[in-house]
Amino acid sequence: MTSRHEEQRATTLGLPAMGQEPEERRDFLPSLASRAADLGIDVFVESGLGSRMGYSNHDYRDASKRVRIVDRDEAFAQDVVLILRSPDDRFELMHPGATLVSMLHFPTRIQRYRRLKELGIEAVSLDLIVDDNHRRLVENMESVAWNGLEAAFEALARTYPGFKTHEREPVRVTIMGAGMVGKHAVEAATKYGRVDRARRMAGFPGVEVTVVGRGLTSNEPYMRRRLGVTDLLVDAAYRSEASKPLIYNEWVGDLPQHAVICDLSVDPYLLEDSPPTVRGIEGIPQGSLGQYLFYPDDPNWRVTIPHGVPTLNRRTTVSCYSWPGIHPRACMQRYEEQLLPLLVRLFRTGGAGFLRPDGGYLERALHRASSAAWVSLL
Amino acid sequence: MHREAGEKRDFLPDFVAALDAVGAEEIVLERGYGSGMGIDEPAYLAASPKVVYGDFDACLSQKLVIQIRCLHEEDFDRLRAGTILLSMMHYTTRPERVRKLAGLDIRAISMDGLIDDTGRRLVENLAAVADNGLQAAFRELAKSYQGFDDPGRPPLRVVVLGAGAVGAHAVRAASRYGDPALRDEMAARGMKGVEVRAIDYDLSGHESYMRSLLAETDLLVDATQRPDSTTHVIPNHWLADTPEHAVLLDLSVDPYDFSVTPPIVKGIEGIPQGSLDQFVFYPDDDAYGVLDPRVSTEHRRVALSCYSWPGRHPRECMEIYGAQLEPFLEVLLNKPPDDLDAHSTSLHERALARAELSRWLEGSAL
Repeated sequence: MTSRHEEQRATTLGLPAMGQEPEERRDFLPSLASRAADLGIDVFVESGLGSRMGYSNHDYRDASKRVRIVDRDEAFAQDVVLILRSPDDRFELMHPGATLVSMLHFPTRIQRYRRLKELGIEAVSLDLIVDDNHRRLVENMESVAWNGLEAAFEALARTYPGFKTHEREPVRVTIMGAGMVGKHAVEAATKYGRVDRARRMAGFPGVEVTVVGRGLTSNEPYMRRRLGVTDLLVDAAYRSEASKPLIYNEWVGDLPQHAVICDLSVDPYLLEDSPPTVRGIEGIPQGSLGQYLFYPDDPNWRVTIPHGVPTLNRRTTVSCYSWPGIHPRACMQRYEEQLLPLLVRLFRTGGAGFLRPDGGYLERALHRASSAAWVSLL
Repeated sequence: MHREAGEKRDFLPDFVAALDAVGAEEIVLERGYGSGMGIDEPAYLAASPKVVYGDFDACLSQKLVIQIRCLHEEDFDRLRAGTILLSMMHYTTRPERVRKLAGLDIRAISMDGLIDDTGRRLVENLAAVADNGLQAAFRELAKSYQGFDDPGRPPLRVVVLGAGAVGAHAVRAASRYGDPALRDEMAARGMKGVEVRAIDYDLSGHESYMRSLLAETDLLVDATQRPDSTTHVIPNHWLADTPEHAVLLDLSVDPYDFSVTPPIVKGIEGIPQGSLDQFVFYPDDDAYGVLDPRVSTEHRRVALSCYSWPGRHPRECMEIYGAQLEPFLEVLLNKPPDDLDAHSTSLHERALARAELSRWLEGSAL
């Protein structure tokens, strides 16, 4: 193979534990440590990594002789540090010139970006790695849709008495929004949120999925009629105007009593902001990995809803700020597959500081996500 | 590409530069390469000093031959022994092609078979399949449906058969009238939007349900990926239930093939197979007359079908394919097909190994 430049080499990878809220179980898997070690990289794994998913230090150590179990400080003190969610309070543990690879969301987290710059840390933001056609290379929108719909159909199986009868009509799902998440939601909905559930339900009348975009969600008479025949309402909309709900709480009353609401857009309530942000479906709670299912009489219904937001009309709701985290192992396997070729390129290049905007396909994608490409935020 | 006149696609100069960057010793382009898209020889020569021009046979005599659409089967014999042929092969629906390739000393790798470990295609332009097909279909619907521009009309009703990757893109495109500019225009005029229903195989087989649904369908889209392509999803006589103004759109573009037993048929019975030269068929089109008599064409609506919907916008299409193929080139040029490791740490090597014909045949019923 020919090469246009003499490639640099970064040689060590740190894998610190996320250590976020107790419900957050995700960490990179032993298989990633093993595959990185196979590339000739020394891997430094923080003791306890993956323990919330049932992995032990042995699982990582057994992956390769190049894998070492270390304390937190040492895991952060490597050439490249990989951690899914940003370790905001641990940046100081990294060396200047080292590369942090994480979901950093630079455009909406400008202070984070500036702090990394102050410390001389190079960074690659996983959420900003896009190819030449702006397609994200590290994403899990599919899990947002599938995990959310899986939870929603589980709830519907309990609330809808006719769910498992052959005489029923097709289950009627209405999806608001046909963007990236909505697209996956369509497929997930036609499969009852799980392929194995779809197989079990093969003899029953299936699922009719109706997708409505902006041109119809704003049409009150149409939407209220639609809600009247909806068993499962899915909010997958990306709203250009987040200060108004798509579905007012009064309209929620038009849904059948057994209906379930599935919140995939997980916009927050930010009433203090100007303009304020409200949820797409008015009066539903915001869930978490700790609780994502809310029945109408749930004592926590109002906990996340600011005073003044009407909640009179309620239907069973599933909502979670991080749907991919529901199935942590599957989520991390997916990220691993997406990440590995990018890590290979990053190590061959020598770290984020050496990425070129005119390099190969993967190098270009990495460069777009690097701190060097976002200097305008300074 | 030695196809119909409407097929204008060739790889762009950027792709040629990428071949050079990963070590290609010589890059032979057929004379006129890229001319269908208005790209001339200097553009390619500027992309790489390794570019030389030759005739079709000179191209086919290289160690690696890359073309988006597969060569005609009669041209396979012109490839030299051991050549790697990288193209969209569609193994599952082209059994004759597969048999012929398998009988030659050619290492075929199907671009559409390049998938990751979860089965997701790595070289695809399914968004363009849906976008281009829906854009053309809504243009026809605007002509056939008298109330299309009437603010008092109900929402346009689109039914998408299939909820896989193409179906999902089709839902998205349909919700936007196949054209964001048209969507914005309609919204500005206060028109009711588009209601899109996605139907999977567990409903499409219910005749009474489907026929009542067809009766209120303005646009019917076939985006199925049928496990059994020998049976129709929509038999021709069901089409009688659709409104006269309804439009039928074929995105799955499975061919009719009566040379195999049982024959391969289209998802919607009775619509012709289109190409980039002709993809709109009105009910009185001569194309219906040349279909095999075993295909019922009694009930007809305006039908759209195109072998290659992405080819409607060739340059955009080739930008996408070129970028997606680029990471495979390094492996292809530096590793013989027999050495491709299906368990490699390289995602792209694993994908190439899976898409190589002899290995694909090991796991296939063909």
